[in-house]
Amino acid sequence: MSEYVKESERSISARMRQALKSFGLPRLIIALFLLLMFVLTPFAGSNLVSQITNVINRFSWNAVLVLAMVPMVHSGCGLNFGLPVGIIAGLLGATCAIEWGFTGPVTFWMAILIATPFALLFGAAYGWLLNKIKGGEMMIATYVGFSVVSFFCMMWLVLPFKKGDIAWGFEGTGLRTTFPLDKYYEGVLSNFLRVQIGRLVIPTGALLFFALLAILIWAFLHTKTGTAMTAVGSNPNFARASGINVDRIRLLSVVMSTWLAAVGILVYEQGFGFVQLYNAPFNMALPAVSAILIGGASANKASITNVIIGTILFQGIVTMTPTVMNGLINLDISEVLRMVVSNGMILYALTRKTEVSR
Amino acid sequence: MKTRRILFCACAILVLIAIACAMLVIGRGHTMYFDNKDLEYDGQTYAASHRINVYVNDERVARLSEGDRGLATFTGQSFSFDLVVTRVDDGEEENFSYTLKVPYAEDGIIVNLPGLIEDLPEDAWMSEFVPVPSVEEEEDEEIVIDEFDMAMEDDMGA
Amino acid sequence: MNTKKSSAPKRALTFLSNSAVPLMFIIIIAICIPISGFSPTFLLNEVMTRLSRNAFLILSLLIPIMAGMGLNFGMTLGAMAAEIALIFVTDWQIWGIPGIVLAMILSIPLSVILGILCGKILNAAQGREMITSYIISFFMNGVYQLIVLYMMGSLIPILHGNIELPRGYGVRSSVDLTNIRKTLDNLLAINIAGVRIPVATLLIIALMCLIIVWFRRTKLGQDMRAVGQDMEVARDAGINVERTRLISIVISTVLAGIGMVIYLQNMGDMATYSSHSQIGMFCIAALLVGGASVDRASIGNVFLGVILFHTLFILAPSAGAKITGNEVVGEYFRVFVSYGVITVALVMYETRKRRAKARAAQQLRQEQEVEK
Repeated sequence: MSEYVKESERSISARMRQALKSFGLPRLIIALFLLLMFVLTPFAGSNLVSQITNVINRFSWNAVLVLAMVPMVHSGCGLNFGLPVGIIAGLLGATCAIEWGFTGPVTFWMAILIATPFALLFGAAYGWLLNKIKGGEMMIATYVGFSVVSFFCMMWLVLPFKKGDIAWGFEGTGLRTTFPLDKYYEGVLSNFLRVQIGRLVIPTGALLFFALLAILIWAFLHTKTGTAMTAVGSNPNFARASGINVDRIRLLSVVMSTWLAAVGILVYEQGFGFVQLYNAPFNMALPAVSAILIGGASANKASITNVIIGTILFQGIVTMTPTVMNGLINLDISEVLRMVVSNGMILYALTRKTEVSR
Repeated sequence: MKTRRILFCACAILVLIAIACAMLVIGRGHTMYFDNKDLEYDGQTYAASHRINVYVNDERVARLSEGDRGLATFTGQSFSFDLVVTRVDDGEEENFSYTLKVPYAEDGIIVNLPGLIEDLPEDAWMSEFVPVPSVEEEEDEEIVIDEFDMAMEDDMGA
Repeated sequence: MNTKKSSAPKRALTFLSNSAVPLMFIIIIAICIPISGFSPTFLLNEVMTRLSRNAFLILSLLIPIMAGMGLNFGMTLGAMAAEIALIFVTDWQIWGIPGIVLAMILSIPLSVILGILCGKILNAAQGREMITSYIISFFMNGVYQLIVLYMMGSLIPILHGNIELPRGYGVRSSVDLTNIRKTLDNLLAINIAGVRIPVATLLIIALMCLIIVWFRRTKLGQDMRAVGQDMEVARDAGINVERTRLISIVISTVLAGIGMVIYLQNMGDMATYSSHSQIGMFCIAALLVGGASVDRASIGNVFLGVILFHTLFILAPSAGAKITGNEVVGEYFRVFVSYGVITVALVMYETRKRRAKARAAQQLRQEQEVEK
């Protein structure tokens, strides 16, 4: 009897160790840290419920951008450091929709509609390029993203946008660096079916929209093409041998990622309430990359669960640390902490030998 | 072979440390403030001169009337300068040469020239210059951490 | 590696494809110079300043390329080490040339530590060194902020109030380097036809070039080239591959630190939290403009690159203003060009690598068929 108990105990501890290993030490530390932040919130003199509301809100803004990582990771194109390519498509959609006179919530759907051809076009070109340079995707994706963003820095100035809300009125040409969306699609998703219980506010619409996209992606990954994509990601040679057109699948995944990024930035803007042009897209790739890694993904494996957990953890840390740190020790090291945590997470993923993305 | 390499490395490090120490000594910058002001010492008053010119390496760094203050910067712990003193209006010019040793820790040193000329003890005419922090400047400046700071006019020169 | 002599047109073609980027730059510059309306003296002066300011930093990139580790985006780490050294030197009030020398020496131990760290991480991420070194620079930027913004003045003593933030800890966003400003550049400087030539700085750069040439011939340099060509072959030949790679990164970081001191003494003012952030990108872009690639770079590339890249940098805003009526367009254009050049170089490198791989595979297949 006692033998038996010991045996099962051992297996439990072994299983726990196994679970811990698969969960990953950095992830555990981050999760514990976030938990600590939640516990400390009341002591820091801020309201726990409003903090949770904050985290849920930030989640609803950013989740789609993180979701945009999934298709490319699945097809073995690695982490999508070229997220800005899709973001630019989304920004084109937003600016064009406003320029062409749409107002109110309908702008959001028009922006998605207008952004789609841009996203398909950019995605196709981007995917074609990534097919040419298999093995070096991540570095090149980074710089393709930068090139596109800096190219569009010029375009925002030169393109003939005229509408006073978004363009510099008196200097003639050029779009503003930031403009508000209150007359357009601010909160179009967040305010839909919004639930408010005391201080707790749940942006149901935005969460539902994310859920819809996530289910679509999940369903897609279980179709024939979707499983082919996973096969390409896990073993391209085997996939090729079994008659899958590897390049076509990879191209498809890049187009999907790019389109999701375009939609993702629009969802972000409807929550944030502002459109940011010029240099802003530079800063968008790394947080999304590290969020999905924190969620348990690696350079060649990512699931919807990773997206959800990662976004909650990452946004949790980003929103909680400033308030808690400020309240407790009057020292705002949150920005520095965010840089160290997010980039440290990416480094951790890049240095794990077993997960080479080729 | 291996010991030789270690020895070589140790020597290189020692040489670097030695150079660093030398730089610490010879590169320490100080500012010397020259006062041409009345000095009270031991109950006696040493009056300021009508005009004092301060020369460093035959170059005039200060031209002081009564009550004036001039300054010169230098590196290292000793400083040589020449004075041309005119005690009263239309009086005779007197020449002095001094080499002063200054304490390492002090950024700024005030030297009272009338006291120096009279060969008083050092504590009579030498004192540390303590800058008074300006009050309105005390508010915090905003530190912006931007990973993609594109302000290249700064970095690369426009 | 071709044993057969390639025909003249083929050689011309290879030359063209190898120097496509520099040629493109020369054409753009040739168009921009008359548009901008700058005088030749002004241009020469500016180019000379930038050459002396940046060349040493860019030289630091050569050694990791030799060791097959690609473009070392981690050179930013050396720049951070130099900035910390300069903060101390300014705080201790060490002026002039001694200040510069002391800053260089102080930066070395910091650079070595950071370089070892960077090298170890890069050894763990073999095959994707560039993206990893790029992320390391961001990661260490966070650590740098932590040290400079929170620990200096509270844990690390800072003596002077004009460096420290009024709140009592942290360093101000800009550190004034007036006391060492251009002291190295002004040493032995001469004027030729209105162009100021900072002889001492150029001598240091020349000395560094000689050291690099000499280093290539040493045992360690040969090892590095062997590792750069083929890691497995090098390992079989008894070379400690990991150690060799580590050393190449350490050397690069140390040189970047010294280069950053030269760079900042010329600027005369240090933006504490942003001076280093873009420096890697600009140095790499300049090197690539000079015709270097990810696996091959020479001293000639460095100088050609600095001259071409920075001439464009000087010209772009005013040329942009003349063409589009907006100076900002020109500024964005030069950023776009920097990123674009790096992108093109990376793409060219990867496609070439893939083609070589495919060719090798084909050769292997043919050989097997012959054996059959």
